[in-house]
Amino acid sequence: MTVFKAYLKVLNKNKALVILYTVLLIFFASFNMKTNSVGTFVAEKPNVLIVNQDENRGITKSLIQYITQNSTIVRVKENDSSINDALFYRDVSYIIYLPHHFRNDFLSGKNPKIEVKSTGDYNASLASMMLERYLKVATTYREVEKDEASLVKMIEETLDHQVDIEMTSKLDSNQLMKARDFYNFSNYSLLAGCVFVICFIVASFKDENIRKRTMVSSLDMKKYNQQLLFANGLFALTLWFLYVLLSFILVGKSILDFHGLLFLFNSFVFMVVALTFGLLIGNLVQNKEAIGGIVNVVALGSSFLCGAFVPMEWLPDFVLKIAHIFPSYYYISNNHFISSLEYFELSWSFVMNIGMLLLFGVLFILITNIISKRK
Amino acid sequence: MKKVIEVKSLTKEYKGLRAVDDLSFDVYSGEILGLLGPNGSGKSTTINCLLSLLKFQTGSIQIFGKSMSPTAYEIKKQIGVVFQEVAVFQELTVRENIEYFCGLYIKNKKMRNEYVEEAIQLVGLEEFKKFYPKQLSGGLLRRLNIACGIAHKPKLIFLDEPTVAVDPQSRNHILDGIKRLRNEGATIIYTTHYMEEVEILCDRVIILDKGKIIASGTPDELKELAKIEEKVSVEIEKISTEKLEEMKRFKNVDDVKYIDGILVVTYQKGKNNLIHLIDYLKKENLQYNKIYSERPTLNDVFLELTGKELRD
Repeated sequence: MTVFKAYLKVLNKNKALVILYTVLLIFFASFNMKTNSVGTFVAEKPNVLIVNQDENRGITKSLIQYITQNSTIVRVKENDSSINDALFYRDVSYIIYLPHHFRNDFLSGKNPKIEVKSTGDYNASLASMMLERYLKVATTYREVEKDEASLVKMIEETLDHQVDIEMTSKLDSNQLMKARDFYNFSNYSLLAGCVFVICFIVASFKDENIRKRTMVSSLDMKKYNQQLLFANGLFALTLWFLYVLLSFILVGKSILDFHGLLFLFNSFVFMVVALTFGLLIGNLVQNKEAIGGIVNVVALGSSFLCGAFVPMEWLPDFVLKIAHIFPSYYYISNNHFISSLEYFELSWSFVMNIGMLLLFGVLFILITNIISKRK
Repeated sequence: MKKVIEVKSLTKEYKGLRAVDDLSFDVYSGEILGLLGPNGSGKSTTINCLLSLLKFQTGSIQIFGKSMSPTAYEIKKQIGVVFQEVAVFQELTVRENIEYFCGLYIKNKKMRNEYVEEAIQLVGLEEFKKFYPKQLSGGLLRRLNIACGIAHKPKLIFLDEPTVAVDPQSRNHILDGIKRLRNEGATIIYTTHYMEEVEILCDRVIILDKGKIIASGTPDELKELAKIEEKVSVEIEKISTEKLEEMKRFKNVDDVKYIDGILVVTYQKGKNNLIHLIDYLKKENLQYNKIYSERPTLNDVFLELTGKELRD
């Protein structure tokens, strides 16, 4: 295992590169996670204006109280001009006009018409849902309870039920987005880390003079190449494992299900491709100064074009068409697919993408072999 | 003496150009064989063929009585090579480098450690064990290069210009080390551009030119091949062309040259040539400073045989 041990020593001298790419991954992944969102749910409170033309008592008072509790009541002069201005400038999202005799009409079994004005946005929809909810509950209880005080009590008891929401469902889309972003970014770290380090070490071992010295030694060249390949494979596997571990630390246990397994499998296949690509470049380029440039062009370029840093859906069509020539495209596409899954399912496109990644790997191995034989 | 290497009718062509042309020679156990020749004479090609780094068209190479091939690992175990270019890992320390290259041959860790320490001692790198190659001077780097090639105690060692661009202290260290290796029983094939090293070290010399052996023998035998027997050099400020022509007509004189204030008179044979020359200079009232006589060197032989200086 002389070659393997020497590989580890040379790797140790290049450990700064591995640390650099890991730190980059942690930094960008953490940054993405912070900007994405948080893990708690806070109910939205829409801005509502209530124009009450009825007496403020009984069921009318109860309705106003309910809306007030669950929204932010905006005070505006009750003339058309001021109300329209408030709506136009979105100081208020929803305006409820409670008509004269609303209470009496409702209690007598009629369905008094409540006029509303709305900005039509998300907050307005929330306010609308609130109003509808109250009226539905009130209408239902009205059929069984004729006494106003009891009716109001029943309505309020029903509507008072609070639900604590904890985001621990199996399809936690927020966490899945984080995982997707992490694995997308790991495209760059894994590719750059593998290619950079493998190229640097292979360049040392394949240095013409060192190779000549090895060839005249009594070590079987097949065993020598096997040891080098094993060491490179072990390095790539360790890097991959480190990043997988990081993903579980940063994203959390919520991906400890089939999503996590699929992310793991997809990134493992990509790691194999990165390894074969590293070996190819290592055999092509012996100049250590040139390796840095090549890694930046290939790893950074393909990561940008394939959506590792920017979501794929934001990229123009022509960029995505170009991205098809890079393995990263298929890896990132699969990450998107995995993050959208509600239940375990292997679609044809997922399998095809894995197939494409493996094809790239085989292609890189073939080219490496041809180059090695020519040398 | 036992033959270590037996080369018969070795021919190597590159695209129709014969780099090595029907070469045959033997190397004997325990000797230091100097392989000399101007650039492009076929020295490196011959060595690369011997080491199976290059395929050749015709001929045969036997090392330790067995046919040499890229997979002749039993033979390779007993060979050590020090290439002209320094071949070490920049990422490994002096000791780690020697241990790595020794480890390609020696699997036993204890034995390997002993060998590594001995190699470090042989080249005098005890104080630099933990240094990285980029921290070493050119001379120390060459010493490391040698240690990497010989740490596994090979019986046959190829040394390709190991003292190129080396300071005098390191050169002495290297030459002493080579002598020690020979004394320990190693057979050495040595190529160099420095004639004085050949004269000090080599038991036998082969001179190559255009892929062929043009002369071989011990350094003294080669010197016998030279037409000249004595060379007298005189530091003299001025001398006329007529005087030079007159001296050329002296008995036994082969040639007379006056270059950069030095008059060089070469004699084919004869006795008392120096005395005769001094008498002439006195008689002609020619003022001179230093005057010295020397036997022809290997460089003169080389020049005569190839028409080129060794460093050409």
